[in-house]
Amino acid sequence: MQLLWQILINGVLLGGLYALMALGLVLVWGVLNIVNLAHGALIMLGAYACYYLFTGFGWDPFAALPLAMILLFCLGYLIQRYVLNLVIRAPMFNTLLITFGLEVVITYLAQVTFSADFRTVNPSYAGANFVWLGATVPLVPLLAFGVALGLTLALWLFLDHTRIGRAIRATAQNLTAARLYGVNPRQLYALTFGIGAALAGAAGTLYGVVSQINPYIGSGLTAKSFAIAIIGGLEKSIYVLVGGLFLGIVEALTALYIGPTYTDVVSFGILVLVLIVRPTGLLGRTA
Amino acid sequence: MKSLSFLCAMVALLLPVPVFAAPIEFGASVQLTGQFANTGRYYGDAYRFAVDKINAAGGVKVGKNREKLSLKILDNQSDVNLSVRQYVQLVSQDKVNFLLGPFASDFALADSAISEKYSVPMIQGGGASDQIFSRGYKYIFGTLPPASDYFQSTLDLMGQLKPAPKTIALLYADDAFDVSVADGTRKAIGKASLKIAVDQRYSSKASDFNSILSLIKSQDVDAILVAGHETEILNFIRQAKTLNVNPKLYSFTVGVPSADFRAALGQDANYAFGMTSWVPSPAFKDDYFGNAEQFATEYQKRFGYEPDYHAASAVADVEAFVKAIESANTLDPAKVRDAIAKVDFDSLYGRIRFNAAGQISLPQTVVQIQKGKLAPIYGPKGLIEKPLYPMPAWGKR
Repeated sequence: MQLLWQILINGVLLGGLYALMALGLVLVWGVLNIVNLAHGALIMLGAYACYYLFTGFGWDPFAALPLAMILLFCLGYLIQRYVLNLVIRAPMFNTLLITFGLEVVITYLAQVTFSADFRTVNPSYAGANFVWLGATVPLVPLLAFGVALGLTLALWLFLDHTRIGRAIRATAQNLTAARLYGVNPRQLYALTFGIGAALAGAAGTLYGVVSQINPYIGSGLTAKSFAIAIIGGLEKSIYVLVGGLFLGIVEALTALYIGPTYTDVVSFGILVLVLIVRPTGLLGRTA
Repeated sequence: MKSLSFLCAMVALLLPVPVFAAPIEFGASVQLTGQFANTGRYYGDAYRFAVDKINAAGGVKVGKNREKLSLKILDNQSDVNLSVRQYVQLVSQDKVNFLLGPFASDFALADSAISEKYSVPMIQGGGASDQIFSRGYKYIFGTLPPASDYFQSTLDLMGQLKPAPKTIALLYADDAFDVSVADGTRKAIGKASLKIAVDQRYSSKASDFNSILSLIKSQDVDAILVAGHETEILNFIRQAKTLNVNPKLYSFTVGVPSADFRAALGQDANYAFGMTSWVPSPAFKDDYFGNAEQFATEYQKRFGYEPDYHAASAVADVEAFVKAIESANTLDPAKVRDAIAKVDFDSLYGRIRFNAAGQISLPQTVVQIQKGKLAPIYGPKGLIEKPLYPMPAWGKR
C-alpha cells in the first residue's frame, strides 16, 4: 500500500512535467494545424539554454526559466515567420516534413555546437526531498509540477481572457471570419508558434534539472508529447494537464506491476485506443 | 579563350597531387553522430590515432616492403541498419582490405554478418555480448571481455566487504549487451549464494526509473547492479538521490570510467562503482605508444578529452591487425584471419590473445568514484585501494 502511494506520487509529478512538455505542441497543433515534429528539439534547446545560464552565469534554473522562454519565443517566432509561414497553406503532410527537417537540422547543429557530451543541470538542491504521509516527495519535480500547473493555467487564461488570446482562438476556429474582423493571421501564427516554443523552453529547463541533456533527447520527447496531446485532446489547453497526468500515472503503475520494459507499449497502446474510441481525446466532445 | 585556359591551368595547379591509395586500407563504420556519438567518438579517434602512430613508425612489414596503412571511417549516425549498409559498401565498393568494428554489441552483432559473408576479417573493440561470438562465425574477433563476466569481479569484491551485502537488485536494458550481462550475472549471483530481491528488465532509452527505485527502496536492497547505457545510468543516479534510495553499494556497467559522465553528475557521482578492462598504467607496455600512460596523455592532448577502455580497446584492434598481417606476411584475408586467431602480444590495452570463438579474455578491474576521481579498487590480484563502503546516505554526504 505504501509502495502504491509512492508510485502514485511519482506518477503525478512525472505527469506534470509531461503536460508542460506537450502544452506547446498542443497549442501549435490546435491553432496552426501543424504537428510540430521539432517540438522535442526545441525542448532540448531550452534545456541547453538553462544549462549554459546555470554553469556559465550561475543562474538558478528557476531564474533562468523566464529567459530561456524568451529566447525560445524569439526563435519560434522567427521559425514561423520566415520558414513555416511560407508553407502554411500547404497540406499537412508538407508541414510535417518541414518540421521533421527542422528537427534533424536543429539536432545536428546542437551536436556540432554543444558536442554529444551528456549534461545535467545540478543545483545544490536538485536531490532534495521530504517525507509526506510516508512517501518520499522529491522537491524539484514538485516545483516543476507547480510551474507546469501555473503555465497551463496562464495559457488558458491568456487564450480565454485576453484580446490576443481570443484572436488566436478565433483564427483557429474560423480563419475567414477572423480576417474580416481585422486579424493579421501571419503575425498571429508567428506569435502562437513563439508561445509554443517558449513553453517548450520552459519544459526543457525543468527537464534538464530532473533528467539529463544531450542533443538527441528531442525525438523521444516529441513522441511523448504527441501521445499526451492525443490522449488529452486538442480542444482546451487545460486538457493537456489531464493527458499528462494520466500518462504519468499509467507509466508509473505499468513499470511497477507489468514491468519497465512495457511502459512505451502501454502508453502508445493507449494512444491507439484513444484514437479509435475517442478521437477527440479523453475529454474532447465526441463528434 | 586565353583567359579560360589560364584559369583551367590555375585550377589544375590548385588541385592536390593525386594520392595513391595506400596498399593496406582499413574500413570502419562508427557512431560519429546520433545518440551513441558520445562513445562512438572513442573508436573514430582511436583508430585514427593508432593508424597515424603505426605509419609514423614506418608502417607494416609485408614481404620485403614496409606498407603504410590508410583508414576509411564512415559515420553510421547511430543507426544499425545504416552501419550494415556501410560495411557492405566498404567491402564491395571501396574494397578495403580489413574491417575495424563499430561501438556497441547491437551493431557488432549485425555488422559481423557482413564480415562473415564476404570473408573479410573484422576486429572490433566495441561489442562484448556473448551472442556475437556464439554463432560459430570465423571472421569476427573482439577485444572487449565477455559481457557475462562484467560483474564477476564486483561480486568477488562483495564477498570481501563487511558487512557483506546479502540482497541484490539486478536491472538491465533490453539490448544484446545488457541481456548477456544480466544472464551471466544471475548465474554468478547464484554461485555466490546471494539473494536476488529485484530482477527487472527495462527498455533502452528509458528515462524514468522512479517506479523501480521505489520498489528497490521498499525491499531494502543491499546492492544494486545496473547494466545499461550512460544516459539511463545518469537518470538512475539522479532519481535515486531525489527518492532518497540508499543501498550499501551500487555498480554500473558503463559510465563510471568516463570523464564526461563524472562531470555531468559532479558530487553525485561519488561512491558509484563500475568496472573497466583497462587502466592507463605505465605497466602496460606498447610497441607504438610506449605505454598506456603515455598513450592516455597523448590522446588527451590530441583530442581534448580523456580516453577510457573503449579507446584502448580500439587501438588494440588496429595493433592486432598489424601483428597478424606481419606474421601472415600477406594481405590475403583468409590467411590474415588465421594469423589473427594466433596472435599473442602485449599492448597498451593488455595481453591480446583470442579464444576459439574469437573473443579476448581480460580481467575487469572494479573502480569507484572517490571525491570525483576514479580509484581502482579490486583487480585480479585482490584489493588495490580501499573501497568506500557502505555508501553514506544521500542526506549525510
